[in-house]
Amino acid sequence: MSARELVDQVVSARQQVDFASSLLLKPSPEALERCSTILEEAGRQLAEWQPELTLWKGDADTLAEAWHLRRSVQRTSRLLRGAAEFHSNWLQIRGAMTGGYTKTGEPAPLLHGHRICLEG
Amino acid sequence: MSNLLASLLSTAGTLDAYGRVLEVAQNNVANASTAGYAKQRLDLHALPFDPAGGVTGGVRAGSVVSARSEYAELAVRRQTSALGYDTQLVDSLTSIQSNFDISGNQGIPQALNNLLQSFSAWGAIPDNQSARQTVIERASDLAYNFQRTSHDIFARARDTELQVGRTVAQVNQTVAELQGYNQLAMQGNNHDSGLDARMHAALEELSSLVDVDATFQNDGTVNLMLNGESPLLLGDRAFALNASLYQPQEPVPVNPSGPAVMRVIASDGSDVTSKTTGGQLGALLKLRNQILPEIMGDSTQAGSLNVMAKQFADRVNELLTSGNITNGPPAEAGVPLFTYDTTDATAVARTLSVNPDLTAEQLASISTGPPEVSNGVPLALSAMANPLQDADKVNGLSFSQFFGEMAARVGSLLRDGQNNQDVQQSLLSQAKDLRQQYQGVSLDEEATILMQFQRAYQATSKFLSVLDQLTETTINILR
Repeated sequence: MSARELVDQVVSARQQVDFASSLLLKPSPEALERCSTILEEAGRQLAEWQPELTLWKGDADTLAEAWHLRRSVQRTSRLLRGAAEFHSNWLQIRGAMTGGYTKTGEPAPLLHGHRICLEG
Repeated sequence: MSNLLASLLSTAGTLDAYGRVLEVAQNNVANASTAGYAKQRLDLHALPFDPAGGVTGGVRAGSVVSARSEYAELAVRRQTSALGYDTQLVDSLTSIQSNFDISGNQGIPQALNNLLQSFSAWGAIPDNQSARQTVIERASDLAYNFQRTSHDIFARARDTELQVGRTVAQVNQTVAELQGYNQLAMQGNNHDSGLDARMHAALEELSSLVDVDATFQNDGTVNLMLNGESPLLLGDRAFALNASLYQPQEPVPVNPSGPAVMRVIASDGSDVTSKTTGGQLGALLKLRNQILPEIMGDSTQAGSLNVMAKQFADRVNELLTSGNITNGPPAEAGVPLFTYDTTDATAVARTLSVNPDLTAEQLASISTGPPEVSNGVPLALSAMANPLQDADKVNGLSFSQFFGEMAARVGSLLRDGQNNQDVQQSLLSQAKDLRQQYQGVSLDEEATILMQFQRAYQATSKFLSVLDQLTETTINILR
């Protein structure tokens, strides 16, 4: 693989990660399923070329693209964390609202299909 | 006949209920673009139905319920506050960065380079008056550039102080607006959707200015706390913030005349500066109390620009005064080239100038040795360009490198700020989308989504973690 081809591969992986990132702007379980598939593919590609990378040690263009890719991965991670925090915090609040607290002081797990019942 | 009449009445009631449903829907459409507005729905209640007993059933309109999720609103406000912080920091750092051009074509780096070259040229022809005059002119130019950069940084600090004052005034104004809304809610308007929309729009505006915790009460009022501790609004009582400059006495000031710092005071007189970390106000305080003092100094530090100016001036003066202008007899000792205010370590750069009494003839070129060298002083001065001895360095770096480090620090803060701003814009869009998704969703539906989400999150998180490790390895291999 030439240096140009390697750069193109890294750019292609970054584009995939950027697409996954754009899906996370409107997070839904379906969007996350698609994200998993896209990220798995990007990871598979990256693992495939890793043996080639040693040949291009010090190549400025490839290194610059690798940094772009890393920033994209970090951006995607932050968006995933943002959505996950939103949901996990809400799960905890709802768990405490519907099931109270466990013996260890944790909010009770949220049980599917249960309703909030307020008793006077 | 009575059954027919009852049925007609029931139908009329049903039509009335659906008429009200349409009114609510129409109101939702009309307010689709109203800031802070959340969709509403009308609760419908089925009436008893027993034809044998003459009970004709039908539907009755219940109360109007807001689809607003306060939890989702809180998530949006948090991201708004973080974006306000990043945006303000990027704006301010962009203007500061213009003072730190390291291309060498302007400002301090160019003037420094020119002066060091003039030392070298003078070393080649030590008795040449023109070469000596050039040294004085280049030294004046360097002093002027230190002064100008220092004045620019001080001007940025003053601008930031004004901005802090304006932002605090905006915070107080928005809190006063919310205080008015609280008063309306306490008068029994707490089910007014317009009032609710105005309150939430004002809260979002406030979040971009400062990090506040908002808690809604049963009477429809909102309480506001600054970072969860200092009250800004409790019911109909508002607590104004104040901003002022002050000179801290703890730790004991090393530079009592150095630039003061900016502080924010709560209405009870307590200092809440350290708690004001989010929003535009948090960014302005970080800039004014942390980033700028590293350059211009404050009561506890001289500031990197002053450290550089002082060490350079002192070293040049030391070399010149250690040499002789003539061998005499009597031998005439050299005089210093630079002067500055020695009483205030934070004023060196802005007061640096060339000794006004110095003439070209008074520049000492003879190093006394032994052995005595006729051009020893200019040669030693020109060696500062590529220093080998510690005396020619500042913090272990050449003067050009030291300035480069200062520029790199500002540049790195700006780059990080830009990256954060970019991600934060996306996080805000995401939070707004989640708010939209959760408005009007039933609790059962919501529970299903949450469970699905939890599973999907775990898978995506695993792949991202692998990808993160792979990219790190990639960079390490390529480096």
